[in-house]
Amino acid sequence: MKVLRPFLTPKGAIGVLLVGAVLVIALLAPLLLPDTAATQMDMRARLSPPTLAHPLGTDQLGRDLMYRVLLGAQTSIFIAVSAVVMSIVIGLPLGIVSGYYGGWTDNVLMRLVDTLLSFPALLLALTISAVLGPNLQNTIIAIGVAFTPFLARIIRGEALRVAQMPYVEAARAAGTTDGKMILRHILPNIMPPVIVQSTISLAFAILAEAGLSFLGLGTQPPNASWGLMIQASRDYLDRAPWTALVPGAAVALTVLGLNMFGDVLRDVLDPRMRGRG
Amino acid sequence: MIYILNRLLSLALTLVLISAITFAVTNILPGDVAMMIMGTQSNPEALAGLRESLGLNDSLPVQYGRWIGGMLTGDWGTSLVFKEPIGPLLLQKMTASALIVVLSMSIALICAVPLGVWAAVHRDRWQDTTASTAALLGVSLPDFFWGIMLILLFARGLGWLPSSGFADPGDDFLLALRHAFLPSLALGLGLMAHLTRMTRATMTGILGQEFIRVARAKGLAERTVVWRYGLANAVGPVMTVAGLQVGYLFGSIIVVESLFNYTGMGWLTYQALLNRDIPLIQASVFVIAAVVMLANLVVDLLYVLVDPRIRLG
Repeated sequence: MKVLRPFLTPKGAIGVLLVGAVLVIALLAPLLLPDTAATQMDMRARLSPPTLAHPLGTDQLGRDLMYRVLLGAQTSIFIAVSAVVMSIVIGLPLGIVSGYYGGWTDNVLMRLVDTLLSFPALLLALTISAVLGPNLQNTIIAIGVAFTPFLARIIRGEALRVAQMPYVEAARAAGTTDGKMILRHILPNIMPPVIVQSTISLAFAILAEAGLSFLGLGTQPPNASWGLMIQASRDYLDRAPWTALVPGAAVALTVLGLNMFGDVLRDVLDPRMRGRG
Repeated sequence: MIYILNRLLSLALTLVLISAITFAVTNILPGDVAMMIMGTQSNPEALAGLRESLGLNDSLPVQYGRWIGGMLTGDWGTSLVFKEPIGPLLLQKMTASALIVVLSMSIALICAVPLGVWAAVHRDRWQDTTASTAALLGVSLPDFFWGIMLILLFARGLGWLPSSGFADPGDDFLLALRHAFLPSLALGLGLMAHLTRMTRATMTGILGQEFIRVARAKGLAERTVVWRYGLANAVGPVMTVAGLQVGYLFGSIIVVESLFNYTGMGWLTYQALLNRDIPLIQASVFVIAAVVMLANLVVDLLYVLVDPRIRLG
């Protein structure tokens, strides 16, 4: 139980609480709320400040901001998780092959990865999304592809480190095949930093989705998404600042939770990095 | 010298790869430049004619070769949306954005380094908690959200600064600064949070090392120990991270310039993407990636200047 102690610190507890709350909301809100909750318009209460009927206020079409923010959680989390899973699915084999085999395979792959890293992730995601046409599926592809080089680089470094460990040499001397070696010895030992990095990537993916949707190149209406809500609020900032503050706070709390959770997870899983950041 | 030659060679190779990737990504687009020019309802024969004259019927490698050839000879093509030659257009927008990039990086560094050092010196005390929490909050908020808050406060609320637009620094530098300030601050705040975290982490590591203990044991003033011995060793890593953040900056600049209607490189790229202006997308994506790569090269070379322990071989 000693290893879980970092989660009991204020930072760890807040992180777990925030991430847990967002996950519960993302999973349960669509089940518990009526289908029309996010789209129902109350024309008499357009841009209404927080009231009893609308605890977080309403937007320019009189839609309840609390419902929209709760349902937006599902879109944001779904896109972020899918995108990060996608970048792991592509990045993991790339990184392992590169780090384990080395030589010209490593040279070619890492040259390509380094080149892709010259493209700012958000620019790459925006370009892919614009090229493929903005919708939910393409937003996932755009963010997933944009994050892959970064993850592949980290996995390659870890695979390289593990491949030089004495136990890998011992296994090799014992005649272990490459496939078995990767599955039995390399993969389990590079997982901790990969998990930590994935958590931090999730935070970035939430921000990227919000950015893409804010520019109209991510989630499309009528889906509720936090980035879209902030975009819609731009014209009403003077009269109804809460239309920006509510979804902005949702993004901030989610990303903050993921960052805190990631920091603590790193202390638990990757003791070499303890105290960084 | 050999090191620099090596770096330049790899730079050339990477530039070729960057251009190839840019060209490939923009060519999976459904529809082509001819369709963009004439519209989807156009006469098929006229469309075929335009395709032929634009060379769109050639194989992709041939088209890529022509594109690169044009770039090398200074012919970057014409933007479909702005109906202007792309080269001068990019140059003009790049200058506009340079102001924001320099300003936001300066804001970030000026605030982040002292804050990070302060947190590291008071490790695990309230000062550290305050600075670290603020930095964590900073990295958790999207830049465009900072932007909206700044507009609400400084433009709408206090009326001190304009909320949108761009002024040419050549015409009126002060006005240009006023327009560039809020976008730079929006970008700088997020950047500052990243750099504060990095400075704190690096300084924490350095302050725990032997030579710092020796310096203290010699009776040097704490101020000298921290700033002269500690920070001198942290400059390298912090600079590297700042260099890496240039990439992040050029991603965020697209969102922030669009929010503030600041007509720089980010705004231009966004317009190109939104209107599927393929020649302009290709050129601006290529230029941004090249600038990010160059920035990192410059940081690597500067590293040698600030850290005499590193010898190029």
